[in-house]
Amino acid sequence: MTSSYTGNRQEIQWKNVGSRKLKDTIANGLSYVVLGMMVVILLSIFIYILDSGASHITLTMLITPGNTATGGILNAIVGTWELVGMGLLFSLPPSVLGALYVVNGRSNGTLSLVARLFTDVLTSVPSIVIGLFAFIVLVQRLDMGYSLIAGGLALAVMMLPYLMRIIEISFRNIPKEQIENAYALGADDISVASRIYLPQAKVGMLSGILLAVSIAAGETAQLLYSAGWNNNYATGFLHSGVGYLTYVVWNGINYPTTYSHYLAFVSAMILILSVTGMIAISKYIGRRQ
Amino acid sequence: MKATNRIFNFLTFLMAIVPAVALISIFVFVFQESLPLWKFSGLSFFTTYLWNPGFQYQQPIIVHGILAPPGAQFGLDLFLLGTLSTSALAILIAFPISFLITLNVELYLPAGIKKFTVSMIELFAGIPSVVYGLWGIIVLEPILFRSVEPWMAQHLSFVPGLKGEIYSGAGLIASGIILSFMIIPIVTSVIVNSFDSVPKEVKEGLFSLGATKWEVGKYLTTSYSRASTVGGTLLGLGRALGETMAVLMVSGAVTNILPASFYSATNTMAAAIASLLDSALTDSTRMNLAALAALGVVLMAISLTVSLIGRKIAGRGSLRGYEGD
Repeated sequence: MTSSYTGNRQEIQWKNVGSRKLKDTIANGLSYVVLGMMVVILLSIFIYILDSGASHITLTMLITPGNTATGGILNAIVGTWELVGMGLLFSLPPSVLGALYVVNGRSNGTLSLVARLFTDVLTSVPSIVIGLFAFIVLVQRLDMGYSLIAGGLALAVMMLPYLMRIIEISFRNIPKEQIENAYALGADDISVASRIYLPQAKVGMLSGILLAVSIAAGETAQLLYSAGWNNNYATGFLHSGVGYLTYVVWNGINYPTTYSHYLAFVSAMILILSVTGMIAISKYIGRRQ
Repeated sequence: MKATNRIFNFLTFLMAIVPAVALISIFVFVFQESLPLWKFSGLSFFTTYLWNPGFQYQQPIIVHGILAPPGAQFGLDLFLLGTLSTSALAILIAFPISFLITLNVELYLPAGIKKFTVSMIELFAGIPSVVYGLWGIIVLEPILFRSVEPWMAQHLSFVPGLKGEIYSGAGLIASGIILSFMIIPIVTSVIVNSFDSVPKEVKEGLFSLGATKWEVGKYLTTSYSRASTVGGTLLGLGRALGETMAVLMVSGAVTNILPASFYSATNTMAAAIASLLDSALTDSTRMNLAALAALGVVLMAISLTVSLIGRKIAGRGSLRGYEGD
């Protein structure tokens, strides 16, 4: 194609090439500096916590219960898992069923939309407000006392929206044709749910569960006034406080003895390792899906 | 079979509204618990800053028809100021950092390690807040107290608020820094996602017109990704407003003393609820509990509003660019 361009090529002016390139270079450099700075800060937090935890850990800490100033943290380790397990028990069934409702085209669209809006908004409720609610309603009015059930429910309120959203997304990743075929062959909703949705979304659900568990394991504010604390193991589901690792970190570092600081460091190390470990596994299996 | 199917469907519906029920009951019950406070304090709850639990071992007195410990008075201003100032500082720190990180991973960084880098930044969100608090107390506060704040007081004292006595590292600056670490991953991932959703042709077109990478980034942020950028920042703000434990540990958790400068200890609404609830339980009139519930209501209202607006704006983000220009 012959060009009809008749103007003088030299007329095209590249304005301020120098200063534009300079700006780009500055932005380039600055962005690397900032990224590098953040990576260094992240690594330094990790290394500091891991180092100070590892250098003070003893076997007795890990195999005896204690009160954040003396003894060990076994009651807190056990309690953390009990609470998280309880939270999962309360939040997983509603998440799976609720996600089924939202992805199921049968429901009218507005209701699904409203349900999803509330799910989103629930993630923004400050955790201490959930804790306050748990204290007022569960601990006092329903007379559960500081207990595993109250703490588990408080955690479940926080885990529920995360689980529901992630499970919903993994349901949506299932090919639509497969579901339509099943319905065309006469399957009802229950068998579509149990034979297609659940098995197909297994990996995505597992990744969501790990993420929700990792978030719950690092929570403190909801638990302070719902699970309370226990210098020993919880003796029942109700009216018996539960210990948890984040409490040891908080209380231990505020308590003026060296040993209590050691307990706080060791708890922080266990927390950071298990939480980031679970996040990493969750991302890994989530990506493979 | 039809009937079981119907029951099953109804069950899924019931479970889908569990979050809505939870949200509404949290608001209703916490608000209900706060009712005595509104009668007791009225508007002065919003206009004063003194927080006094009263003499809980004396005979309770009746004020405005409500039983309360003598000498009790409740005003949220100090906590509100702390919540707003720490969150504002966190955003001031977090936004430029998130913006530059986004530019870096989207335009400058080799594409192969982009995902890894974003995941790494997201790890900041995975660190439990008590661990941030611990690190803040042991590492950050001494650095601020010994080096950073004295330097600022000496060299930046012409800036209002940066002149004053330094008592400890705990306070507004430490809280703002820690909070910014917690929200950088949120803001960054929202902006990165919106950059990813820009059609490839737009970026390529800009480059072929001779735009530098910085100009492409600047253009995309102010056009295609503008809504996501604002929305993501608001989502981060919503998170910062409600953060409890880390701020409780590094803010100094002061009551009744208004901050004199940026170096003073502060307190936030969330941290105040966590730290004052224990002693509020010894109040037989439950007025202290009502006051904390009122703090909770205000905190929830603010943080839900901010997050909702953020979500609304960020949700529109991907459409924005096609309407404009």
